[in-house]
Amino acid sequence: MELDLDESSLAIGRIERALSRIEKALADRANRPAPATAAPAADASALKAEVAAVIGELDRLIAEAKNG
Amino acid sequence: MADVHLNIAGRPYDVHCADGQEEQLRQLAALVDEKARGIQGGTEVRQLLFAALMLADEASEARGKVQKAEPQSDSLRAAVALAESREAAARDELHAAQAREQQALGEARAAAEREAAARAELEKLRQGAPATSASPAGRHDRALMQIADRIEALAVTAEQMA
Repeated sequence: MELDLDESSLAIGRIERALSRIEKALADRANRPAPATAAPAADASALKAEVAAVIGELDRLIAEAKNG
Repeated sequence: MADVHLNIAGRPYDVHCADGQEEQLRQLAALVDEKARGIQGGTEVRQLLFAALMLADEASEARGKVQKAEPQSDSLRAAVALAESREAAARDELHAAQAREQQALGEARAAAEREAAARAELEKLRQGAPATSASPAGRHDRALMQIADRIEALAVTAEQMA
């Protein structure tokens, strides 16, 4: 299978760094006292939907790569 | 048998020879007569003796030339054989070179055709002809980049919420 290592390596590097930022943000949030104002329910719902969509897209891409 | 009348050194002679050889005999007698008449003075017998000696000398000299020429003839024959051999080898080499040239021409022609086909294909791609199919690797790379965009946006959101 042809692989453009430059493009794919760059994308994977960006994904890894973004995930690290998310992990750090979640850890910071867990270690901090609960804020006086929580995020609006609509925002949280949209965030969850986006996370699920991105995970789904990644799954689809991985499956496609595995099947050629 | 034929009868031939000869005249040598002023004296007539009647001789016999095989039928058909009369003219040759007359020519030979003319040679002897010429030699004998070229010798002045002396008796007829002396003139004939000197004519015979001169003719014998010429015959001896001619025999020597023939013997001397034989080795040269052998060398000449060998040289001719060598030249013929070289000519044959050169002809074979020429045929082989012509065959190689034909083969090279054929290969060059085929290469030119392949190059022309490749150029035409490239030109078609340049002009935006519909690609037969996008490379899977290219599609995956683009999808990965889009996912990276989306996860980076999520990271920004997470950091804002933290």
